[in-house]
Amino acid sequence: MHDWRADVRARLSSAELHPQHEAGIVEEVAQHLEAQFAELAPKLGEAEARERLLAQLRDRAFDDAVIGRRQRARARHRTVWSSGSVLRDIRYGFRSLGRSPGVVAAGVAALALGISVTTVMFSVIYGLLIKGLPFAEPERIAMIYRADPTEQGQEDLIPFADFVRYRAEQRSFSAFGAYEQATVNVSGGDRPDRLSIARFTAGAFDVTGVRALIGRTLVPLDESPSAAPTAVIGYAMWRDRFGRDSSVINKSLRVNGEPYTIVGVMPEGFGFPRQQAMWLPLRLDTAGLRPGEGRPVTLVARLKAGVAYARANTELSTIAHRLAMEPGDSTAIRDYAQPFIRATMPARVYSLLYAMLGAVFMVLLVACANVANLLLDRAANRTREIGIRVALGASRLAVVRQSLVESGILALLAAIVGTGLAQGGIIAFNRAMIALEADRPFWLDVRLHVPVLLFVLAIAVVASIASGLLPAIHSARLDINSILKDESHAVSSLRVGRASRAIVVAEIALSSAMLLAAGFMTKSITRIRRVEPRFSFENVFTARVSLASADTVRQARFFEAVERDLAALTGIEGVYLGNDFPGTGWRGDRVAIEGQVYARPRDYPITRWLAVSPGFFRTFSVPVLRGRAITAADRAGTTPVALVNEAFVRRHLAKVDPIGKRILIGDPKKEKWLTIVGVIPTLYALGMVAGGGDRFPPEVITAYWQQGQTASASIALRGAASVANATSVRKVVAALDPDVPIYSVAAMDDVLYQPTWPLRLFGTMFVIFGIISLVLAAIGLYAVMAFSVSRRVREMGIRMALGASAGSVVRLICRQGAKQIVVGMALGLLVGAGLVRMVRILLFEVQPSDPSVFGIVASVLGAAAFVACIIPAVRATRVDPSVALRSD
Amino acid sequence: MLTDELKKGSAEFLILSLLDAEPRHGYDLQKLIESRSKGVLTFHVATLYPLLYRMEDRGWIAGRWVEKAGERRRRFYRLTAPGRAVLAAQRDSWREFVTAINRVSGVRYA
Repeated sequence: MHDWRADVRARLSSAELHPQHEAGIVEEVAQHLEAQFAELAPKLGEAEARERLLAQLRDRAFDDAVIGRRQRARARHRTVWSSGSVLRDIRYGFRSLGRSPGVVAAGVAALALGISVTTVMFSVIYGLLIKGLPFAEPERIAMIYRADPTEQGQEDLIPFADFVRYRAEQRSFSAFGAYEQATVNVSGGDRPDRLSIARFTAGAFDVTGVRALIGRTLVPLDESPSAAPTAVIGYAMWRDRFGRDSSVINKSLRVNGEPYTIVGVMPEGFGFPRQQAMWLPLRLDTAGLRPGEGRPVTLVARLKAGVAYARANTELSTIAHRLAMEPGDSTAIRDYAQPFIRATMPARVYSLLYAMLGAVFMVLLVACANVANLLLDRAANRTREIGIRVALGASRLAVVRQSLVESGILALLAAIVGTGLAQGGIIAFNRAMIALEADRPFWLDVRLHVPVLLFVLAIAVVASIASGLLPAIHSARLDINSILKDESHAVSSLRVGRASRAIVVAEIALSSAMLLAAGFMTKSITRIRRVEPRFSFENVFTARVSLASADTVRQARFFEAVERDLAALTGIEGVYLGNDFPGTGWRGDRVAIEGQVYARPRDYPITRWLAVSPGFFRTFSVPVLRGRAITAADRAGTTPVALVNEAFVRRHLAKVDPIGKRILIGDPKKEKWLTIVGVIPTLYALGMVAGGGDRFPPEVITAYWQQGQTASASIALRGAASVANATSVRKVVAALDPDVPIYSVAAMDDVLYQPTWPLRLFGTMFVIFGIISLVLAAIGLYAVMAFSVSRRVREMGIRMALGASAGSVVRLICRQGAKQIVVGMALGLLVGAGLVRMVRILLFEVQPSDPSVFGIVASVLGAAAFVACIIPAVRATRVDPSVALRSD
Repeated sequence: MLTDELKKGSAEFLILSLLDAEPRHGYDLQKLIESRSKGVLTFHVATLYPLLYRMEDRGWIAGRWVEKAGERRRRFYRLTAPGRAVLAAQRDSWREFVTAINRVSGVRYA
């Protein structure tokens, strides 16, 4: 009997109808033809009847039927997104994922790691840079800087006289103020303190819009030089010094020995502009000041509603132009307003943090790639299931959606777990930030704020699309006929293999970029502890003491007494007083060597110098190589002396005997000639921060007691911690003057390593990111290799049955992996080199092009990748050919 | 033989009329049209099904697979409520048209 179905199907084949519709038409029309044939055949003969019906079928009018059906098929697609069907997909997704808990665990773990690091990083950026000051409409708070006309990019403060003019003439800002930051001694109470404060004009408080918790903020009347001195104290000071006493208003406080009346207490968390503890009036006499004169101050202002920064800056330029035309100032001035945080945070902080955000996105992408691979693997195992669903009428869109729903479920679970992990990371970050204290901006508030949670949701969506789309597209492209016929899944697995290999290349590229950054950080961190400063700092305790008095005779007498009384303590092996500490505290200045002629100021060489007391050598165990040390005899009135280091001798006095030569540090018109009396070894002379500079430069040490100004001293004590501590110093200082605070109390060890905190904090974060991405990439590669090997069991079986050796099978599989590793690594190292350049401010004693780091990263990644390849490869050789050939 | 245009215009009307009485399948419709028009009107698969599907898309008729015991399932078409309204309207206008033609041409009813 003639098969009319085949004829109808052939007639429809080019139309690409939806399978369900095609089947319906075929059945209906074939029935019709069959019935007609049965009627016609006896009359016309079978051949003639068949010919006539086939001709009718070929009629072009039949195409109309096809077009009609196609439109209907499309119209029905719209219902694919009905809420009921999505819910069904979600239920189905949960059920089907529930059957493979391993995939769920691995996928959720990978994505949760990626999401958590991204969240931590974003919450830091949000808390520091985006959220803004914790005041009303913080985006309108501006800082006004003066662009230095000579040096590009340098920003200067603005002279007080210009501030007064701006304040009087500007119309763009609703509040306009100025401040300067300072540290002062505060006493009156149980113990004196050294505090960071700010001197504010009344307008500066108006800019913040914050009202006092108790009492009032400063008013214009406080600025008058004849008014009684007033102070507004911070919450911490109110709590610690006054025990939250609400009757604190009008009480007196001594600031640098002068009495101030407390007029207000600020609410908790207010530390504007940075981390201030108290605010005093900025009292400057403007009488007789001409433009460009007066103390430099920082300008802050609040933009009026509806005024843009550009308009405010135009107005500032106009006023600046008028200022420049008046006598007393000839240079062109360019002052400009910027949002406060933008202006106050260095550009390199932005660059560092956003580079780190980019880096964690890479980790997230690696995690997505892993999940994509897991899902692809699943999709390949489910080709038959998908084929059946399509054959039963599931549209391709529905198949894609099902796959996306599954990756969405994974991403959502991962977002929940990841947020929990991120909370842990945020706690750790905040704990590390506590160490910063005075450096920490008061507005820094790293928490899971609502926008941060929205960000998590957004990245979860991105992650689910990124990891679900490829498997989805793969499933949708499947050819049902070949799936249902093909027992071995060869076609589908081949295609999956290609996609997942591409994913692995991307994964290796991203993780090698991350690992490169982590490698540089690791090397920098290990370098810190390897620095040999060439002086001893164990068991050395340090503190600083400043006198408010400007009386130099009194200063000298006070510090001599401090030195004497500290040395008298039992158990103290060395007492040092100086203008700073070795290591971080060397000052840089120009130096003149007697007998040399310097035509221009810039011809002078630069040297590092430190003024030290005789205890320097004992306290820091610095030997004198030639000549003598600084002794107690080198005091005011005697011939000024100096010691130079070996680097100085090599550079400047190589061919002569340095002893007895004279040098001069600083301005030749003001400073005295110093006679060199000895030579010391070259000591470490930089803070441990990133950046170039000679860490063992020419150095000069001078006699602390021979310099005129000694308002403050850096004190170091060598001895056991039971004696060499804050209590001893405080007791000695308090006995001499109860109003003088001691501050910056720290072990010398911390003084030396404190500047490395950004590297230790952010560097460690990088290392964590790097390790996570390495692990993820290695697992990803392993999964892909294992998958591709398992799909090729039959092939391997045939190869081995035909006599291939185990070694050649391993080589075959590894060669395939090696290609991806090499391509991925080459791409990744390029990207990573760029990343490292962006975060170079963290690097310590490592160049961003250091080949050894590249080499180590390449070999670590190569080794991990090799292990990931070799395990499945070896497993392939264990295949029993007879089993393999039977396997499906 | 009628011209194609005339046939097309009247075909929908004919199918609606035939389905008014009872649901029918495609082959049944073809046979009925052929026999009742005494061979003047003929359809075949390529002309009938496009028409049926189009009418179904417009919602005038609805096709449904019906299985009867011991028989192969067949697709039966029935008139829908909108189809019934269309049929009524077409009957009216067809009547007016025929009356008008008669008046003009002087052709009498057979």
